[in-house]
Amino acid sequence: MKRLFKPEKRLLTIVLCCIPIFLSGCWDRTEVNDLAIIAGVGLDRTDNGKIELSVQITNPKAIGGPGMSSGSGQSGQQPVIVKTGTGKTIYDARSKLQEKTSRQLFEGHNRVIIIGKSLAETGIRKHIDFFARFPIPRLRANVFFTDGKATDILKVIPSFENGESAEAARELAELKIGMNVTTKDLLQQLASSSGDTALPKITASKSKLGEGLKVNGTAIFKNNKLTGQIDDKVTRGLLWLTDAIETASVTIQPKDAEGYISFKILRSSTELIPTIKNGKWKMIVRITTEDDVTENETKLDMMDPKIVEKLEKQMEKSIDKRIQLVLDEVQTGMEADVFGFGEAFERTYPQKWKQQEDQWDKKFPEIEVVIKSDVKIRRPGRSGGPQGVPQEKEKKK
Amino acid sequence: MIEKGKISGLQMAILLYPTVVATALLILPATTGQFAKQDMWLSPIWASLFGYLAVMIAYRLHHYFPQETFVQYSEKIVGKFPGKLLGFGFLFFILHTNGMVLRDYGEFVTGNFLKQTPLIVMIMSMAFVCALAVRGGLEVIARSSQIFLPVFIVLFFLIILLLIPALNPKNMFPVMDEGITRSIRGAFVPSLWFSELFLISFLLPYLHEKEKGLKWAVVTTAFIMITLVTTNLFTLLLFGDIASSFTYPVMDAARYISIADFMQHVEAIVMAIWVTGMFIKICIFYYVVVIGTAQWLRLSDYRPIVFPIGFVLVSVSMWSASNLQELTHFTRTSWTFYAGLFLIVIPIVLLLIAKVRHKFPKKQSH
Amino acid sequence: MMWRIRRKKDKKKKQSALKQSKQEQDPLYTHITENENQFRQIYEDCSDVILHPFSIGGKHQALLIYIDGLSNTEEIDDSVLSPLMTATVNDGEQQVSTLIKNTVAVSDTKEVHTFSDCIQAISTGKPVILADNSQTGFSLGLSKWEKRSVESPEAEKVVRGPREGFVETLTVNTSMLRRKIRSPKLKMQSMEIGRYTKTNVMITYVDGLVDKTLVEEVLNRLNRIDIDGVLESGVIEEFIEDDPHSPFPQTLATERPDIVTSNLLDGRVAILIDGTPFSLIVPTTLYSLLQAGEDYYRRYLMATAIRWLRYLFLVISLLLPSLYVAVLTYHQEMLPTSLLISMAAAREQIPFPALVEVLMMEITFEALREAGVRLPNQVGSAVSIVGALVIGEAAVSAGIVSAPMVIVVAITGIASFTIPRYSAATAIRMLRFPMILLAGTLGLLGIMLGIIMIVVHLATLRSFGVPYLSPMAPMQFNEMKDTLVRAPWWKLNKRPRLTGESNKYRQSSGQKPSPIRGKE
Repeated sequence: MKRLFKPEKRLLTIVLCCIPIFLSGCWDRTEVNDLAIIAGVGLDRTDNGKIELSVQITNPKAIGGPGMSSGSGQSGQQPVIVKTGTGKTIYDARSKLQEKTSRQLFEGHNRVIIIGKSLAETGIRKHIDFFARFPIPRLRANVFFTDGKATDILKVIPSFENGESAEAARELAELKIGMNVTTKDLLQQLASSSGDTALPKITASKSKLGEGLKVNGTAIFKNNKLTGQIDDKVTRGLLWLTDAIETASVTIQPKDAEGYISFKILRSSTELIPTIKNGKWKMIVRITTEDDVTENETKLDMMDPKIVEKLEKQMEKSIDKRIQLVLDEVQTGMEADVFGFGEAFERTYPQKWKQQEDQWDKKFPEIEVVIKSDVKIRRPGRSGGPQGVPQEKEKKK
Repeated sequence: MIEKGKISGLQMAILLYPTVVATALLILPATTGQFAKQDMWLSPIWASLFGYLAVMIAYRLHHYFPQETFVQYSEKIVGKFPGKLLGFGFLFFILHTNGMVLRDYGEFVTGNFLKQTPLIVMIMSMAFVCALAVRGGLEVIARSSQIFLPVFIVLFFLIILLLIPALNPKNMFPVMDEGITRSIRGAFVPSLWFSELFLISFLLPYLHEKEKGLKWAVVTTAFIMITLVTTNLFTLLLFGDIASSFTYPVMDAARYISIADFMQHVEAIVMAIWVTGMFIKICIFYYVVVIGTAQWLRLSDYRPIVFPIGFVLVSVSMWSASNLQELTHFTRTSWTFYAGLFLIVIPIVLLLIAKVRHKFPKKQSH
Repeated sequence: MMWRIRRKKDKKKKQSALKQSKQEQDPLYTHITENENQFRQIYEDCSDVILHPFSIGGKHQALLIYIDGLSNTEEIDDSVLSPLMTATVNDGEQQVSTLIKNTVAVSDTKEVHTFSDCIQAISTGKPVILADNSQTGFSLGLSKWEKRSVESPEAEKVVRGPREGFVETLTVNTSMLRRKIRSPKLKMQSMEIGRYTKTNVMITYVDGLVDKTLVEEVLNRLNRIDIDGVLESGVIEEFIEDDPHSPFPQTLATERPDIVTSNLLDGRVAILIDGTPFSLIVPTTLYSLLQAGEDYYRRYLMATAIRWLRYLFLVISLLLPSLYVAVLTYHQEMLPTSLLISMAAAREQIPFPALVEVLMMEITFEALREAGVRLPNQVGSAVSIVGALVIGEAAVSAGIVSAPMVIVVAITGIASFTIPRYSAATAIRMLRFPMILLAGTLGLLGIMLGIIMIVVHLATLRSFGVPYLSPMAPMQFNEMKDTLVRAPWWKLNKRPRLTGESNKYRQSSGQKPSPIRGKE
């Protein structure tokens, strides 16, 4: 049998086969220094209905590599560059933007998507598709809403995070003081039966001390359009309700003492238990939290189990109140199901849900919500009794 | 026999595992999720029944013709000319399927990683690498997959492990709210992937310990089933309803990983898994085509036809579909019947004929 | 096992080559003068060969032939010449040889009958005595030449373990092996290779442990060799390999007697070659090339950890530069954001693409290392590393390469030094370059394809019939305890399956030590 390749010529053949690959190779090669690394994206809507895409590009020159002769960073360089482009779609705007940028736009490290008010009002679903289809962007990017123009948020130069507002926004979201919504979460919520969602609201705070960002409040979207905003306080209730609360403090004023007591939440879990009885839809919210005392202004002894029990009761009430606040505003006010009540019913009562699915919009505001919170104060902190109070004067009951 | 190498039962299992898992891993959640929704993790269990069926048929046939492959014994069962025709049909089916698998690989890589690179480069480079392995024979394929499989499994579990913090068990409910039907409908396409296990008919004759063949085939089917259930389950728990709206859900799942701001964007791991898995899968199909053709043409050596078949393979894969949509549509519709015919129906018919032929002479002699 | 079938042509070639020395095969002549003439003709223009005619007891003419510097002349004078010359002689031809036998006070005395026997003896330093009227001569084991003393091996250093290494003299090396394995089961078959050098090659194995077919195959492959000279084991290696085109060595070259011993006890065959301290061990696997002898002397937990470190650095040594290229030019999203930005900042001023940068630095590094080896003494390697760093530093501040690049090259360099076998390290180093090119063309996918190609090649390789990747592929579960980990000695009860099949157990089981209980 004649062999196709003689052993001696095999190497040559392989080399010859490989050469065309090497010659024609490098289609996708991009050097790092030809990339415009996008840290954040802002979406706005122009008056004539076009999309205005703003990107925040990190300026590596300003950050400075350790190998560079200038040391760390060149003075006078902006840490970030913000550019905007307009187009019919996001990608269209992106191409317009690319025309203006000498380096290739690169979304692989995009960490935040900020949606401006103008766009939010006309609906966000159709625009979010780009971030799930274009191969580069990450699904973990945090999504924010801003009450003004998204560009303005990107232009903020905070004092931390190398002056990148995108990074600062991401860190804020990670702290979970407000809502923390990633692109994936947003996609999931939009795809859910109600299509209602909530996004954290980010605002630029300017003071004499410098620029900064803050997450205060939440924007509520009904049927992917902005319907209203709730403030910081109400947001806490929303976080309780959606089991998203992590670093929270609760401060109450005990009835029979002067001053406040603050608690730090160690862990908390919220359970939504839907029930349908006699055609009446009801949602039981069961909240269990564990707290530590962090500050005690009163003269109460934190080691006393009776006092602790009282405080627990009072805390439960305060939590109930917070949640009631959000229910009032969002459930009955805006009629937007951002709590996931719909899914809860769907999971427990799939058949009944099917029948009611179309009327859910009407049904939702009428659902009775019963809040059952259970607070456990675990430890009194480093001190037992109140500090700076003589032993005799401690209030004991 | 043309193939002089021998493989062990374990090696056969190792070859079979990626043969099903490699394709399924990335697109399974999308394919099953479409029909089965949140019950999609159940679908592979039903689908695996077809795997067992295919294995059993192959094993029974092997029992009658212990030294021969499908191409050889089909001639003995139904006669020379029909057998040849059947063999040709089967080989063409395998070649076509292999072309589609190769195309799948190319589409995935060009679609997600190397967007500018021409598809033909991807396909040719892979075909070339596979051709090297196939030229080495069954032993070489088995040994290489033995090196790759542990890596494959470790990386796969690494991804799952890294995703655990992001999983949400609520996405799984309600379980079977519409009964079993939904998950069975989702099992339709994967069951055909499982029936690709019929290819063991080409491996069984080269086994060291024949008696362990069936055991290992069953074990590997079970493992495939477990892997696929896990895949579906964790994409479901991560993405919930939107799992099926991604082209490659597992890939997007891997993109979602972020541990301590350092372990992020590990989709390259998915690519590594996919490429090694695909390599083994394409090798097995390629090998079956090559050895089958050699047996069909009664050649004394299969090596001279490795590269020519490789060229045919590349052209088939370039021509099998004009774009990804068409390819996916084809695999979800026509291919299922096509595969069902060659991997389940024809083998069953052959088995029945073989059984009848086997029994009658016995009765006459007594 | 599948031995490669060799073509028979080779044998014919060898026979024709031997024809030219046909006359040397002739038996010795009876007359001493004829013998003397013949030898003078053979050793024409060989001024270091001394032909010394003398007479035994004043009666029989005799001839002493030896090579100056290869034989112990004092011994020749004292125990050969003086007893023979003063001996009293009776008549008769029979007695001359008996007389020599009885008179010469040398333990290693052998009869020689042909010219070639004589030449062989003389060239190995054994003086030959020929007497008149006798067709039998005597070779006397009085060879003595300058040899290097036993030193610690240069290329394979250990912290714990024997410090002796082989030397250039075969007899010293065999004696070292014999000192380690005292059993008569240690067999040594000697043969000569090289038309002119007539190098002595010793095939060593332990009878009862080794597969007989393996020894036969080794002998066959060695017998096929027909070359002018064997200068080093590398020459032999290239003639007996299974796949001569592979970059991977298929024999294990070592200069440590303890490594040879342990391999012999695993049922392998060692080939010792005169004139070089490096002996070859066959068959070998990839894993044995990644093991240092010290692995077996260290505490097993440490040995395991270090083995893993070595595997990790093997991968780094092969892949780090190509990963650098792939990630930096194709998969920028994989890096943590802050790292990417500082990389981008570092590369801001660099004129070259990453691929060129890497190739440039890697080639420079290889050149520096090669230069370091050729430097007169051992300072060389240190100089080359320092030089590389200095050049790297200078190149960075000149803005020719980026600082991360220098780190990558340095780590790769260190990684390639962790591979214990020099030949394996060279193979990995060489493969790094095609990998870089693949990474530059297809990114990570290119690297994957490269790895697949390497693995396929390794899976095809066999060393004397043993799959190169065993015991990983084909998998042998119970040998994992000597590949993935280094199990404690009292657990390593079995020999490797593919070489030690004829005698499976190397020790009795259940030897795990435990403290004596009951003494409080």
